[in-house]
Amino acid sequence: MASPKTVPKDAQVMIQILKDMGITEYEPRVINQMLEFTYRYVTTIIEDAKIYATHAKKNNVDADDIRLAIQCRMDQSFTSPPPRDFLLEVARQKNQTPLPLIKPYTGPRLPPDRYCLTAPNYRLKSIQKKVSSSAGRITVPRLSVGAVSSRPSTPTLGTPSMQSVTTKVGTPVSLSGQRFTVQIPSSQTAASKSSTPSTPTVQNVHINPSLIGSKNILITTNMVSQNLANDSLKRKHEDDDDYDAL
Amino acid sequence: FHRLFILLVHAHFISKMAAVQDGQVDLEVEKKEIKTETSNDGSGNNNANSSSPGSTSLGATSKSPTGPAEDQQTLLAVLQFLKRNKLNESVDILRREAGLSVEIDDSPGSASGGAGSGGASNSTVDGGDTNSLLSRVSIAIPAAPAVTAAPVPPKGLDQPDVNVVLSAYSQQGDPDLYPLYYNGLKKFIESVLDCHRAELSQVFYPLFVHMYLELVYNNHEVEAKQFFEKFSGDQECYYAEDLRILSGMTKKEHMKGNETMLDFRTSKFVLRISRDSYQLLKRHLQERQNNQIWNIIQEHLYIDIFDGMPRSKSQIDAMSGSLAGEAKRDANKTKVFYGLLKEPEIEVPLDDEDEEAENEEGKPKKKKPKKDSMGSKSKKQDPNAPQQTRIPLPELKDSDKLDKIMNMKEAAKKIRLGSDNLPSICFYTFLNAYQGLTAVDITDDSSLIAGGFADSTVRVWSVTPKKLRRVKSAADLSNIDKESDDVLERIMDEKTASESKILYGHSGPVYGISFSPDRNYLLSSSEDGTVRLWSLQTFTCLVGYKGHNYPVWDTQFSPYGYYFVSGGHDRVARLWATDHYQPLRMFAGHLADVTCTRFHPNSNYVATGSADRTIRLWDVLNGNCVRILTGHKGPIHSLAFSPNGKFMASGATDGRVLLWDIGHGLMIGELKGHTDTIYALRFSRDGEILASGSMDNTVKLWDTLKAFDDVELDDFTAATGHIHLPENSQELLLGSYTTKSTPVIHLHFTRRNLLLAAGAYNP
Repeated sequence: MASPKTVPKDAQVMIQILKDMGITEYEPRVINQMLEFTYRYVTTIIEDAKIYATHAKKNNVDADDIRLAIQCRMDQSFTSPPPRDFLLEVARQKNQTPLPLIKPYTGPRLPPDRYCLTAPNYRLKSIQKKVSSSAGRITVPRLSVGAVSSRPSTPTLGTPSMQSVTTKVGTPVSLSGQRFTVQIPSSQTAASKSSTPSTPTVQNVHINPSLIGSKNILITTNMVSQNLANDSLKRKHEDDDDYDAL
Repeated sequence: FHRLFILLVHAHFISKMAAVQDGQVDLEVEKKEIKTETSNDGSGNNNANSSSPGSTSLGATSKSPTGPAEDQQTLLAVLQFLKRNKLNESVDILRREAGLSVEIDDSPGSASGGAGSGGASNSTVDGGDTNSLLSRVSIAIPAAPAVTAAPVPPKGLDQPDVNVVLSAYSQQGDPDLYPLYYNGLKKFIESVLDCHRAELSQVFYPLFVHMYLELVYNNHEVEAKQFFEKFSGDQECYYAEDLRILSGMTKKEHMKGNETMLDFRTSKFVLRISRDSYQLLKRHLQERQNNQIWNIIQEHLYIDIFDGMPRSKSQIDAMSGSLAGEAKRDANKTKVFYGLLKEPEIEVPLDDEDEEAENEEGKPKKKKPKKDSMGSKSKKQDPNAPQQTRIPLPELKDSDKLDKIMNMKEAAKKIRLGSDNLPSICFYTFLNAYQGLTAVDITDDSSLIAGGFADSTVRVWSVTPKKLRRVKSAADLSNIDKESDDVLERIMDEKTASESKILYGHSGPVYGISFSPDRNYLLSSSEDGTVRLWSLQTFTCLVGYKGHNYPVWDTQFSPYGYYFVSGGHDRVARLWATDHYQPLRMFAGHLADVTCTRFHPNSNYVATGSADRTIRLWDVLNGNCVRILTGHKGPIHSLAFSPNGKFMASGATDGRVLLWDIGHGLMIGELKGHTDTIYALRFSRDGEILASGSMDNTVKLWDTLKAFDDVELDDFTAATGHIHLPENSQELLLGSYTTKSTPVIHLHFTRRNLLLAAGAYNP
């Protein structure tokens, strides 16, 4: 520990408090953390109190405001567990119902799907994009890399009419396939979830053969016409949708 | 008791009137805490009878210990106070209503307003339990006009023992006199005969704490501090932690935040005193002006009187230490079915040495040969075992049957341990955990280890050379040949094979981990208040069970799977089933956090250890607390049941391991040796050896055969629960093994009786 001369007063007070509460061994970081907490707590209370004081059209913040501020904060952040009689009463009611019988042979015994975390947590955006007449515009392919198709991979080159990627969302119980679409904008390399190498910038309809390697990947591409002005906007929008939660 | 109800109601009314006088009308009702509440309509005597939202629930079965004479007294005191403060209206109302008799039993006044008590506290609460009413009119220092009537939260014992007490502090005396009262009692106790002194000294601690809390609650801060300074040094050393917490509570607001202290204040501290000593005390206190102490004692202490020899200091010390005193004798009288469930008959394919196994009807050879009830391999029901159908249990699947067969084969090769044949210990050290390892579990067949960490991850490792694999995705699964013999291998995706898997999902440190017996699931409980179920086939999270809104300190699967128990900071333990999103049972009764939860081997009972230093045994069938075991002097962090279900071992922060006989509810052994908290306890597969692991970096082995042999239970001890414990810890200690600065947080005996231990290296 730093020698008492160099330790600021606040820290000394904190050290004393820790000692009084019987805590003798602690890492030096603890003092900083405690001081930070103290600072944050006090400023929050005082700011709240200021708001209450102005609301009550008072010029100065007085003790009542502080008291109210503390009260509200306590109810919000520092809740304490329910009191004993409440717990006993709830327990009494709950314990009265008999234990439910167990249905035989039902596979994994899980609550209804609504209460499980097994549903897919992403939604695929449909990749149908209106294709405007693209004469003279740069067409940038967007590669959708979807995993898990029922058929192993022949890469198919999509034409402007979109190839529907079979979205085979598996049964909710944890065997759902993993689908993702990755957009490869012209100027960036896409981050691909699978182990495929990142593709170089693609200007036209080329597929990096190395993407084909893995059995799990069905590659479709589609032509999207974009003009540069819209590019960035669209991309951002679609990026959000198409990047799956990993 | 009806009069008491009136008094209570008037207490609320008084508080309200006084508050109105001061211009403060406290409009909000605290949802969680039941404190001074005033109803919104601050008028009229309607309120006297209307629901004062104060979660005051009258147990219809309340019986008050104070006779009518005392009611009159209190009534008069209240009247006087009102007159003094010129609340004439209320005086009239009180007078009028005191004349009323009693149809108030079902009056709406008894309805529980407070959201705090939910819908529960109707006056129709019957014998069920537990809601008794405590209300105090605290008289503030005359200077301060504000009267805070604090309806103390109704005290509920988890046993239907209801006491309604109303105390007016005018009878309790002047705060300045408290030290005098205490001193007087101290002098008296020092002067009695030696044999009684030890017993009567038990009174000091609860009396001290209650007097101190009363002073604080009534805002006599200065007197409280003086009182504390003067007398805190006299208390027993094992109450030091509590006293330190108390020393920090000098204002009423401090008390409000501390649920444990509030519960302490409203529950009765149980003392066991022999009849002779009790008579002495009573006689002394009822003479002269010692009424105040007598009142306090009556109010806050429950004296369980027994006939017989007074206990010695060592006997008392062994059993005391908990936050609520000891257990009443009738708390431990319920019959507990501690026997094991019968194993189902399984046809074991005849191997060379497995002929024996068949004859045993599939019973694994884990039973101690000593048990007379188990000795006969007959089909007769063990009288101490619960019915097979007492609680619904999942039926055995084929995979379970295969597991059992494996189990029996392994058990046949088990090493017989004993004081002359100690187990080998294999220690799994977690490196680079940076003090983040908070929980460990090992599967029953010792093939997987899981660790819960402070960074909210759960990691699973494979102990055997076999790697961990995920199940293939749905698309691939439809391609495999389902008829092949090794289909279980084919469903695994080879590409995902790895030594360990990391499971992300929690948002706080993971404090409890438990594998399911069929190795399909893993449970983890965390500081974020949820318990998560993970699949070990796909290594993803399946369900999050929300119920505790506070850190969940421990969780465990039942020995048969399907059920699991969790216990946390909210002072309850909950029983869940994997296919219900809400708990099936709630075990409420502890005064402080539930720190350790364990299933009995027959899955019919759950033991919980708590920070209030008691262990409670709960019946899964109806949620009742069937045993309360006191004796530890610190929060309990580890529990273990012996394989035959008869005994239990517990370890706490005081470094002692206590052995309990569950059937009788008695302490039968005390193992001293560790110097720091004991976080791991495990019985060997046959129950001959108990291994304990502690923060002092050691694993100690204890001879339980000897410890359980030495127990002599005659009728007297069984009736009163006073065991004289032999000081034989040294003889029972078979070995002490030190690690290299690695606290031991988990122990596990493999099926062949090899001891595995786990901990994080902490240089």
